Amino acid sequence: MNNIPLDNIAVNLEKNMINIPFWLHSASLLYNIIGIIIYVVIVSIIFSVFGYVVGWLERKLIARAQYRHGPTYVGMWGILQNMADLIKLLAKSDVVLDNADRFIFIISIPLILALSVFLVLLLPYSPVLQSTNLGFGLLMVFTVIAFFPILLFNAGFSSANKFANISAQRSVLILLGYEIPVLLVVASVALLANGYNLQNIIAMQSNSYFALLMPIGLFVFFVAMLAEFERPPFDLREADSELIAGWLTDISAPYYALALFIDYARMFLGSVLIAILFFGGWLGPPFLPPLAWLIAKAFIISIFVIMVRATTFRMRIDRVLRFGWWWLVPLSLINLIITYIIFVR
Amino acid sequence: MPITRINVGPVHPSTHGVIRLVVDLDGDTIENVEPHVGFLHRGVEKLVETRMYMQSTPYMEKLDYVAPMSYNDAYVAAVEAAMGIPVKERAQYIRVILLELQRIASHLLSIGTLCNDIGQMFTAFMWSFKDRDIVLDLLQEATGSRMFYVNMRLGGLHSDLPPDFEEHALNTLDYLEKRVPQYEHYIERNPIFTERMKGIGVVSKELAKNIGITGPALRASGVNYDVRKNSPYYVYDKFHFNPQVLYDGDNFSRYKVKILEIKESIRIARAALKSLPEGDALGMPVKLRSPNPKNRISIVSRELPRGECLMYLVADPQRPYRLSIRSPCFINLAAISHIAKGERFADLFGILGSLDIIMGCIDR
Repeated sequence: MNNIPLDNIAVNLEKNMINIPFWLHSASLLYNIIGIIIYVVIVSIIFSVFGYVVGWLERKLIARAQYRHGPTYVGMWGILQNMADLIKLLAKSDVVLDNADRFIFIISIPLILALSVFLVLLLPYSPVLQSTNLGFGLLMVFTVIAFFPILLFNAGFSSANKFANISAQRSVLILLGYEIPVLLVVASVALLANGYNLQNIIAMQSNSYFALLMPIGLFVFFVAMLAEFERPPFDLREADSELIAGWLTDISAPYYALALFIDYARMFLGSVLIAILFFGGWLGPPFLPPLAWLIAKAFIISIFVIMVRATTFRMRIDRVLRFGWWWLVPLSLINLIITYIIFVR
Repeated sequence: MPITRINVGPVHPSTHGVIRLVVDLDGDTIENVEPHVGFLHRGVEKLVETRMYMQSTPYMEKLDYVAPMSYNDAYVAAVEAAMGIPVKERAQYIRVILLELQRIASHLLSIGTLCNDIGQMFTAFMWSFKDRDIVLDLLQEATGSRMFYVNMRLGGLHSDLPPDFEEHALNTLDYLEKRVPQYEHYIERNPIFTERMKGIGVVSKELAKNIGITGPALRASGVNYDVRKNSPYYVYDKFHFNPQVLYDGDNFSRYKVKILEIKESIRIARAALKSLPEGDALGMPVKLRSPNPKNRISIVSRELPRGECLMYLVADPQRPYRLSIRSPCFINLAAISHIAKGERFADLFGILGSLDIIMGCIDR
């Protein structure tokens, strides 16, 4: 979409210029490369700052809920505490157990982080700030998200720890229970928006947010996102009171730092996705730029996720599956049917 | 599926100390649980033989570090029974007050850690810790120490209550009385909590009697037995209270009995505070040179927050010849290999938390 003026420039350049180096065969490539670099820098900054602030806020808010103060010493209001933790973790030595399947064990956690960052770069953040405008963007996002449980399974299964092993099995079970309701809700969003294009989905919400049109869908999607991204009450993979740290039990400190990154990357992803699919993305009164609207909406959703964490108990794996199949799948089907009958037909 | 053997502990977030559970899992279902104890063994019963009578009270407090005063009281009562020393009346009332406050603090901690084991992100735990702290403040006011009190003396106490203690205690009890229904409201109305507690880890009446489970775990299985009521000591027979009995025997009943017992303890402590007699409450000094035991063997039974403790003391002049302790936690723990069979792995920690064990008490 943004490439159109650039393409014109390229065409003009090719008409007027005779010799262009082959690696700049068209100037649009150069512009695209520069554009991509700028885009990656901007989105990385947004993503890192968002993840960092939400991570700090999570500690502070949960501390408030528990009559504590949370971090106070490092920086103002303890805002540098997470940074200090991160530096400490990265400075520690890296140990891989002899029994572990070394290659898979080492590769899977960076791979999960890479996939999360890929998804972060794939999402649109404002009418101009986006990498590519895919017609099947929404499907692409959920295809990549479906890889997460498999990679988590690899990480847990290869670490030769029985707790990590149980955690790996649980991650596959959660995949069985929660992938279907998510995709059914995605299907009803696509029904409303006439396609899987993320830009288009946001543009279709200019009259009313999809959250108002299908509240059941929002509920199902929110719960399933909690389950997909390991947030309480579905933090069965990392269940600290049962499985010590689940798939992270035998992981050494630098990888644990990466895992913390993954945690906040997934939080960012989940809240931005909910904001895009149900709360109109960057749409809002014009006194704020579109990007600010999207980030503000995602921020409020993250705070809600944190409050859920502070209040619920952990569900048991069989109950999680039963909840998924008895409640979420029927609800998402009902949502799909209602959406079709009322808004599409 | 092949059976997996998992070693839970001795270092694990929710083993409440250093206990090792060897768990055989069939998929996610528990086939067998075998508890291994002894990681915290300090040989307290033997150490007592090498010290004079009142030098051992600090050891007794470290047996149960959640309710230290109860053990201290049980030991001192055993020595008093051996020496034939009567307890002063005011001291009896004060002991009842302090023991009930200790019971409230202990049950609050137990409820908090149970919620933590079920998978709550420390919120209920910190809430109950805050309320326990208020009770500990009160105990500190009365005894001068926050955690390990060592305030029981033969025939009385180390020091009388401070002058404004009564008012503070009544205020605190009023606060707790408002607070406990809030726990019920917030914890029990959570559907995840109830579904993970109800019908899990059922101890039948027969099993409870056969193993010898005591305390809240026994009363949750429908057996009306409370040492305070069945063989009253001190002035417990002067107050009206009911042992709280539930009949399901599952995790939820064990939790609920504790909540109900906090309410009863508040009633007892308040009644004792209001009928506190004037007089002297001080006991004999610690430096008790060569006391002459009147009874060679004394057996004292006390209702601790976690169950019935039995102190079997064979007395010599100067120091005990032999002390044997019936630890309630040790016997309650024996139930786990019976009741955890067939439950899910995630529920093992709920069962362990609701049995409410203290490793210092188990390993002695």
